[in-house]
Amino acid sequence: MVFNSYTFIAFIGVVLLLHNAPLPWKVKKLNLLVASYLFYAVWNPPFVLLLWLSTIVDYLVALALGREENQYKRKGLLVLSLIVNLGMLGYFKYGGFLMDNFVALLSLAGITYQPPGADIILPVGISFYTFQTLSYTLDVYRRKFAPEKSLLDFSLFVTFFPQLVAGPIVRPGELIPQFKVPHRATQTQFVWGLFLLTLGLFMKVGIADGMLSETSDSVFGVPFPLHPLDAWAGVLAFSGQIFCDFAGYSTCAIGVALCLGFVLPDNFRYPYAAIGFSDFWRRWHITLSTWLRDYLYIPLGGNRLGTTRTYINLMITMLLGGLWHGASWNFVVWGALHGVFLGVERLFRDRPARLPEMPLATDTVITQASLLPAIPMSRSVSRFGLALLTFLLVTLTWVFFRAPDFGTAMRLLLSMFGVIPVQIKLLATIDMYKVFVVTVGLLGCHWLMRDKSVVAVAERTPWWLLGLGWAAMLLVLVLTQKSTGSFIYFQF
Amino acid sequence: MHYSPYVKAGLLALAVLIGSLAGWELYLRSQGFELSYNDDEDLWAYHHQQVYEASAANPVLIGSSRMKFGLDLATWEATSGLAPTQLSLVGTSPRPLLADLARDKDFKGTVLVGITEGLFFAPSGSYPEQQANKCTAYYPKWSIAQRTSFFLNRHLESQFLFLDVERFNLRSLLNRAGVANRPGVFALPAFPMKFVTDGFNRQTTITKDFMADTSLQNEQRAIWMYVFTKAPKAPMSDSLLTSIFNEVKSDVARIQKRGGQVLFVRMPTSGKVWELEKQVFPREKYWDRLIAKTGAPGIHFQDYPELSKYECPEWSHLGPADARTFTKDLIRIAEQKTGWRIARPSVAATPAHTSTLAVR
Repeated sequence: MVFNSYTFIAFIGVVLLLHNAPLPWKVKKLNLLVASYLFYAVWNPPFVLLLWLSTIVDYLVALALGREENQYKRKGLLVLSLIVNLGMLGYFKYGGFLMDNFVALLSLAGITYQPPGADIILPVGISFYTFQTLSYTLDVYRRKFAPEKSLLDFSLFVTFFPQLVAGPIVRPGELIPQFKVPHRATQTQFVWGLFLLTLGLFMKVGIADGMLSETSDSVFGVPFPLHPLDAWAGVLAFSGQIFCDFAGYSTCAIGVALCLGFVLPDNFRYPYAAIGFSDFWRRWHITLSTWLRDYLYIPLGGNRLGTTRTYINLMITMLLGGLWHGASWNFVVWGALHGVFLGVERLFRDRPARLPEMPLATDTVITQASLLPAIPMSRSVSRFGLALLTFLLVTLTWVFFRAPDFGTAMRLLLSMFGVIPVQIKLLATIDMYKVFVVTVGLLGCHWLMRDKSVVAVAERTPWWLLGLGWAAMLLVLVLTQKSTGSFIYFQF
Repeated sequence: MHYSPYVKAGLLALAVLIGSLAGWELYLRSQGFELSYNDDEDLWAYHHQQVYEASAANPVLIGSSRMKFGLDLATWEATSGLAPTQLSLVGTSPRPLLADLARDKDFKGTVLVGITEGLFFAPSGSYPEQQANKCTAYYPKWSIAQRTSFFLNRHLESQFLFLDVERFNLRSLLNRAGVANRPGVFALPAFPMKFVTDGFNRQTTITKDFMADTSLQNEQRAIWMYVFTKAPKAPMSDSLLTSIFNEVKSDVARIQKRGGQVLFVRMPTSGKVWELEKQVFPREKYWDRLIAKTGAPGIHFQDYPELSKYECPEWSHLGPADARTFTKDLIRIAEQKTGWRIARPSVAATPAHTSTLAVR
């Protein structure tokens, strides 16, 4: 079920009614659990079995980890959980990719092999809930989190519908304690939750689908080189689309959870105002970057094992981060590019001649999310210039992320820089205007909001102005309905 | 009662939203627009469910817009007692739909394939195939959530004009802003807003306003001329054409092998559109070879005086009154040509009376 559907309106209406009914807390949690399974099952009912398998295995493994003192046995339990979770992920997400590459390798060796046809359907959101349950087992293994004794609370942690299929990826400590005591939204929380839901849907339906997706789909879908203007417009369109689509989903998830009285962590902090790539990863998909930092980068040694090893760890983290998004070499290239940019940035930062230090952001989420410390910069103009440069480089990496294959990505990149002489004009002027307006608007908004939060700005805004802005978003939503599709990140 | 600023903002937003939508709806109604269903993947998938019931009396109709305008579903149902399943898609090649039915082992029914040469013979993977491929890929994945949304949406669409995506969606309104394109860019111009409406059964009907307004008809004629003369065309080599014939022949054979039947239909066009089509897609190179290669029966409007007497208001599609008589005559001719039994015995297929028709 997607947030931008009539089904969801009916669904959330019933869920809210039950959640606010005079029922015992345990019954309300049970309602939420059933609703979450329903939310997932209406896509493809059999895949609920995978959720159950993951839930039961991690619940039992964690209980055993809590009891067990023998290190070998504890490691064995951890390995069991990893095999089940990563095995599921590997089969459904990477099975076809691995087989294709295996066949290609055999072909290089002169062996022809025709694998049996296996049309594997990817369960929606499998990467998200796998990482969420993995974090639980790993935290229990490291004795950072006590095993959850209530199967109901743990099942709800794995399945909680607002963030089940596309994040934010929640840590056990952020959500399970909230299930321990009755939660019901206050009047302000409820209305603010609805506002966030509207904002998220506006980003997804109004901007990503309504203004950008057609242009991006056209440009990435043609099998021939394009005029540089068209190529840039298409790539910039995707840059805006991927942000509005994914951040839109996260905002909806946070809003829906808040309507029920639960608080989810931020997942985006105006990433297109980032100064440098380390700053970008503190602002883009924060719950994934912190996950990769805590469960991959730091266990690999982080920056504690010398300079060379730090760069290697960084690259491994970004390559796997790329692969997390999908089974394709394009995602690996995308991750590698981010790894290279992070490495180069670190190289510049570690040069002996240093610019004056700038105080780091003190916000806890940003500090936590950091893979690397921020670049010290001083003057606002150069900071803005660096932010623009970062945005352009990030945009170039999106080419590999979005293109269906490597050849298309390279053709598009060459078109963008006018290297290919054939220059076919594809886009209507109105579509280019839309991309231009949205890109400028998005960059301006991110820059102005760089160190602010929506709630802080809303608190300073007169209620009537907030209401008019809210109405405008709702109007765009209603008038753009049905020109919309599924969220991009569902496929990851 | 004291409300927090957020609640006040929310109430204001709701009031402005309801007021604006009510105003917009009243404005659209005052302009004489007619209600229309969104002819999208959901509506297509909904009707696709019925293909397994198809027979000569209620065939599956695939093709492009000319089948949707020109085959009058109500007339067909009145004649045969059963409603056909309209799966034609505007602006697309029906080849992916034919291939989809051929692949479906459970499909053993009758198919009428509308031939618009410029679309039907579009190369594989080209734009005219994309929408058809989108629908065939959508149907097997049509989830419970999407079905539920469709169920709720159809009731709303039947009440509110502003929910019409094709005409009043924000994207559509922006595309009608009249911004000139760069030289060398081909973009399909927006059709007149009062051109057509779509029924829940996927019947496309030219509106009364359009039928009565020659300036609208001329506007649409100019659009067809622009499309025919400016649209980028992939070169049609003989080998490409042969591969398309072979592909269609194979699909037809698969359906026939299971006991199904296929009938090709060339719908009427007129004026400059017909003149151009004759030049660009000569009958002997396309239609005649298609019929010869596949061995399936075909009805070309040009071969029958009762089918070729029509003048399309914008040269490319039949008007609603003409669609009714055309359908009646087509059923009779199809029965004679194929031996299929389509009309109910009580409604023995007789030539349509032309006295009540707007035959031009």
